[in-house]
Amino acid sequence: MSDITENAITVSDVKIRYRMFKKISLLKTILAPYKYKKTELFEAVKGVSFEVPKGQILGIVGKNGSGKSTLLKAIAGIFSPDEGTIDLHGHSVSLLSIGVGFQPKLSGRENIYLSGLLLGFSREKINEKIDEIIEFSELGDFIERPVKTYSSGMYSKLAFSITAILETEIMLIDEVLSVGDVKFKKKSYEKMRSLITNTDRTVVIVSHSSETLSSLCDTILWLHDGEVKMQGSCEEVLPKYEEFMS
Amino acid sequence: MRFFKDFKRFFNYVVFAAKAEINSEVADSFLSWLWWFLDPLLYMFVYSFITVIVFDNKMKAFPVFVFLGLNTWTFFSKTVKSSVKLVAAKKNIVTKVYVPKHMFVLEKIGVYGFKMVVANLLVVITMIGYKVPLTWRFLWIIPITIVLIIVTFGVSTIIMHFGVFVEDLLNVVTVVLQLGFYISGIFYSIETIGTKYGFVTELKGKIDAPYDQLLVKLNPLALLISDLRRVILCNQDPHWVMLLIWTGVGLIASWIGVTIIYKFENSYVKVI
Repeated sequence: MSDITENAITVSDVKIRYRMFKKISLLKTILAPYKYKKTELFEAVKGVSFEVPKGQILGIVGKNGSGKSTLLKAIAGIFSPDEGTIDLHGHSVSLLSIGVGFQPKLSGRENIYLSGLLLGFSREKINEKIDEIIEFSELGDFIERPVKTYSSGMYSKLAFSITAILETEIMLIDEVLSVGDVKFKKKSYEKMRSLITNTDRTVVIVSHSSETLSSLCDTILWLHDGEVKMQGSCEEVLPKYEEFMS
Repeated sequence: MRFFKDFKRFFNYVVFAAKAEINSEVADSFLSWLWWFLDPLLYMFVYSFITVIVFDNKMKAFPVFVFLGLNTWTFFSKTVKSSVKLVAAKKNIVTKVYVPKHMFVLEKIGVYGFKMVVANLLVVITMIGYKVPLTWRFLWIIPITIVLIIVTFGVSTIIMHFGVFVEDLLNVVTVVLQLGFYISGIFYSIETIGTKYGFVTELKGKIDAPYDQLLVKLNPLALLISDLRRVILCNQDPHWVMLLIWTGVGLIASWIGVTIIYKFENSYVKVI
């Protein structure tokens, strides 16, 4: 049995800056060097710290541009924080539903392998799960065709299915709670619900919908302009957040 | 070291991605794999025309000679050229999951390396056709190929990094590669090669001493191509010392490339 106070995610004093790296052109630099000024700095996350105990569900709220998605991407390891640390204590992690990026020329099946391998799963594990993924995605024969021939609905169905069936210990969910047509939406919502409520899984959800969050989350983190404005249970934080936003 | 840990973790991905890329090329058009032969074959005819007719130059087993140069050069230049925009080309992966970016270079090396092996079947076929005897020195193609891969990886990783930030790097790289093509001795020999025990006993170099040695030793591709011809056609030893030096330089370049990639790769997402 695992220790109940064990943390799955520890974020301490994380700062993430967007160094406004402009693309440069050699020709322009030679012809007009004075036009290039120093790169601007923009701090999207300004010293955020929090912990998520294993099995808990954390919701992140905040207005647009408050650093929610940036923070989520940093937890997923897509970019590292400029200061501070993010410790996942060795757990596997994935960003749910947006997929890990497809190669348009390859078939759906090949892309499932590529995504799985990128997420750190072994070939055997993917072999084991691939039928379930294909079935869940409802793509049928299209799975053997190149992904570039897919409609946007099919694309997101496949993306969702891969990350939902190849379960990781930590799941990060960025808003998208609806994928595909009405039927698939319902199914994916149910699937997501069962994934989220699994007590072994640690989940971080970014959402604007207080309804969704209060029905799913244990605690809420309210980000405002890159800083933690409030942190606590749904009952404490959500009413204040709604009051603030209205 | 982090490089080896990442290498182990993503190796399966690299192999699968390279295979998938080759497969998709084959599936794309019916004859695409045939182009892996046709490309070097047709170019060989072009260079035969230039060398034999324009420069009136007779050479023993000319096709073997040209294929060795051409296939090696094609591997190097295609890998380097594809590295320039590689991160941008993999945008949909880079923005969604963490991958050490030099894995993409390894993937390209896998793809173009495979094509080089296929194209080198032409070397084998023409060797049989011209009855070029195999000697034990043939085995030296293994160390020469290893040096080729190390140098290509080193150059490509560094180019890939700068390709993210420098918009017009591709123009520069294209011109430099074009120059590289002419100074690497692909359809002529820079230095005089041949031994009395070899199939080719003497092949006069086009560049006068001492510049021929300078050109061969300072340009790793010229060195590798010349050494391939020495071991296969002339039963002659390669430039061992220079091969060793270029291994060192290649490893240092690779180390620099991987280090800057680790340092800056998290900013790539913010640029592309």
